[in-house]
Amino acid sequence: MTEPMLELHGVHKRFGTLEVLRGIDLTVLRGNVVCVIGPSGSGKSTLLRCINLLEPPDEGRIVLEGKEITAGSARGESLDFVRRRVGMVFQQFNLFPHKSALENVCLAQEKVLGRSREEAAKKGRELLGRVGLSDKASEYPERLSGGQQQRVAIARALAMDPHVMLFDEVTSALDPELIKEVLDVLRELAAEGMTMVVVTHEIGFARDVANYVVFMDEGVIVEEGPVRRVIDAPREERTKRFLGLVLQR
Amino acid sequence: MDVVFEQYFDFGLMRDEFGFVLDGFWQTVQLSIISGVLALAWGLVLALLRQLPGRGLAPVRGLTIAYIDLFRGVPLLLVVLIISGSFPFVAEGLGLPQSIGIPQWFGKPDPFWYGTMALTLTYGAYMAEVYRSGIEGVPGGQMEAARALGMSHGRAMRHVIVPQAVRRVIPPLLNDFIALMKDTSLVGVIALLEVVEAGRTVQAETLNSSALTLGALMFLVVTLPLARIVDRYIAREQGRFQRGLATA
Repeated sequence: MTEPMLELHGVHKRFGTLEVLRGIDLTVLRGNVVCVIGPSGSGKSTLLRCINLLEPPDEGRIVLEGKEITAGSARGESLDFVRRRVGMVFQQFNLFPHKSALENVCLAQEKVLGRSREEAAKKGRELLGRVGLSDKASEYPERLSGGQQQRVAIARALAMDPHVMLFDEVTSALDPELIKEVLDVLRELAAEGMTMVVVTHEIGFARDVANYVVFMDEGVIVEEGPVRRVIDAPREERTKRFLGLVLQR
Repeated sequence: MDVVFEQYFDFGLMRDEFGFVLDGFWQTVQLSIISGVLALAWGLVLALLRQLPGRGLAPVRGLTIAYIDLFRGVPLLLVVLIISGSFPFVAEGLGLPQSIGIPQWFGKPDPFWYGTMALTLTYGAYMAEVYRSGIEGVPGGQMEAARALGMSHGRAMRHVIVPQAVRRVIPPLLNDFIALMKDTSLVGVIALLEVVEAGRTVQAETLNSSALTLGALMFLVVTLPLARIVDRYIAREQGRFQRGLATA
């Protein structure tokens, strides 16, 4: 259970002259839940997007299940390797609006994994059931609440049988009363042993669920460690200040 | 006032020439539909070529943009003339059979097919721009979500982006189709007896424009309902959009 699932070594990412990630080293162990916290613009989302190569890093290495995915020569092959193992859920859900909930969950199963329509639908229904949306399978996204849309998006990512799940501020666009239903799904996933990297502002959630917390600011990891250590007894001044501001709310 | 009525609304003349003008309009309709369908397809191909990702494909994108700029920038009449005037010689020079150089497929005369080529080439460029606006109007998160699920750029385009883009651009595409239909009259200059040319023939023989008025009425029978369909579609989409906002 303790082998590394994902390793980042000296990852840099620039957008023009702006350096968003300035040398990130991070190891995520199999079955662990790593929460990434930090102020807006600290590079948290970019970090996730580098991990699944939506934004290829400019420098540094990323190793997924022992295979380096940042090797320049075999980009296409790496992309396939990564995207089949890493699921991602976005802040804005990004459901396909022209497809029903079930079709959203089935599309990539059929077109990428080559599953039959029946196979995909079976898996899709099972996953919609798991996120509590069995009765919404034929609804279109515009008829679902934000929390329901986000749960469909989670089911859609899980349908690809990922080994790691990335969550990019998945509750930030939700009304407060809808946040819990999404966090409950994440909790359940964590309890089942899914390896997860979660960018979040929900410190309470991080405290409950995470094994490991990373505090980022200005493109670097300022402080990292077990939850109790980082959240309850931060050593760095910047971490203390951030947690002070966030927990005050 | 009588002279106006007589010149433009001579019902007796309209009745006598109705069959002749209608035959011309039938040519117009066939030319519009065939060119329209081909331009819709060609425009989509151009739009997709223009959206190809990666540095390696920059030349393809550049050529596509050059093509679109070129055909949007020159008059359709000029394209009609240079195709009909020289295509047979060019085809022959390239060693193509005469059935391509002077096409008379499905019993249609060669001006019909030269017109189809010119309309498709020109309106394909216009429609490519319409598709482009549709594709660019789909939020970036859609492509990212599709890519994150392991789809290639092509698959994501086909299953996620294009279906949404096309829905957005149906009204402007229909507007382009109406414009295309009206522009088929330019093919009359290369001796295709479409509705305007038919009306002109009658005008030249009778020194009376009523056959052209009749042609105009035939156009309106098709274009007015199309314009209403566009309006209704836009209204419906706007309703959907507003409902979407209300539930968000």
